Amino acid sequence: MNEEQDKDAKATVDEGGGFDPRAAARLLEQTTRRAKRQFEFPSPLLSLIQAAALLAAYGAIWLSVRGQNPYSGPSGTALLELYAFVGVAAVAVGLDGRRARAGVSGRSSQQGWMRAIPFMAAFLVVYVLMGALRFDGFSTAIVYGIIPAAGPLITVGAAAAGYAAARNDWQMLGFAIAVVAVGAGSAFAGPSGVWGVAGVCLCALVVCSAIAKAWLRRA
Amino acid sequence: MTADLLDPLIHVPARLRIVATLAALPDGDALSFTRLQKLIGLTPGNLITHLRKLEHAGYLSTEKNGSGVASHTSVALSNRGRAALDAYTAALRDLIAGL
Repeated sequence: MNEEQDKDAKATVDEGGGFDPRAAARLLEQTTRRAKRQFEFPSPLLSLIQAAALLAAYGAIWLSVRGQNPYSGPSGTALLELYAFVGVAAVAVGLDGRRARAGVSGRSSQQGWMRAIPFMAAFLVVYVLMGALRFDGFSTAIVYGIIPAAGPLITVGAAAAGYAAARNDWQMLGFAIAVVAVGAGSAFAGPSGVWGVAGVCLCALVVCSAIAKAWLRRA
Repeated sequence: MTADLLDPLIHVPARLRIVATLAALPDGDALSFTRLQKLIGLTPGNLITHLRKLEHAGYLSTEKNGSGVASHTSVALSNRGRAALDAYTAALRDLIAGL
């Protein structure tokens, strides 16, 4: 700290004489709300970007596979679009994370990557399962349709539910269980329909979650 | 109940904002002096004076990393500071309810 910058600071420092308790309560509430908004991750804007990216990614695959009979899987262009939207979402996550964590250090920063490990493992296990199913001769509709569309929602959602329950984060727990339900429910829509149903439901879920979070913050 | 029961170290607009801002971080996290100053909007000297008072009371801890122009200071609310803010909030609530 540079003490030379404001030598007369002590003279200007205000003390609490005459500080009205109602004004103090208002200031405390405003400051807490503002600080939480500053440190909030993901922000409502990021949630909207993620919702749009999810809808676009799943939608690109659905447009590529709808009407296929027999199901042959998404086209290369659709997969490129999928990865492009995932990339956009990843960049948005990085920028929003940097905004929220600017100047913040300590325990939660150090644990950030540790926390991501179970989620990445849950995501990768879907691809391992796809390989095993393909090896065992399961149909393309299962291996390249239902499993890659619904699988990540079920596995990552379940990992998120466990994480949220361990932290008593009931809001996240509710969201994670809803994601698992979307994954499980959309699997019944068939190898083409699963992409459309999962995309729309997931997008709606993320938007609703962002609205609920913003509403709870104002309440 | 009177305003005298409110912790005088916290019952100052600038220090209340400092403590409330730091309390919004997860337990065990620290905030850089620069970002805290940006959030609170005080001059560096003013902020230092308030931080020093809170630090002397054991409500927060400061840590300086590096040296020279590359040095930066981070500030964290201590358990004692968090408890003091909780007690202040409860006292404030009781006081307002009685008005």
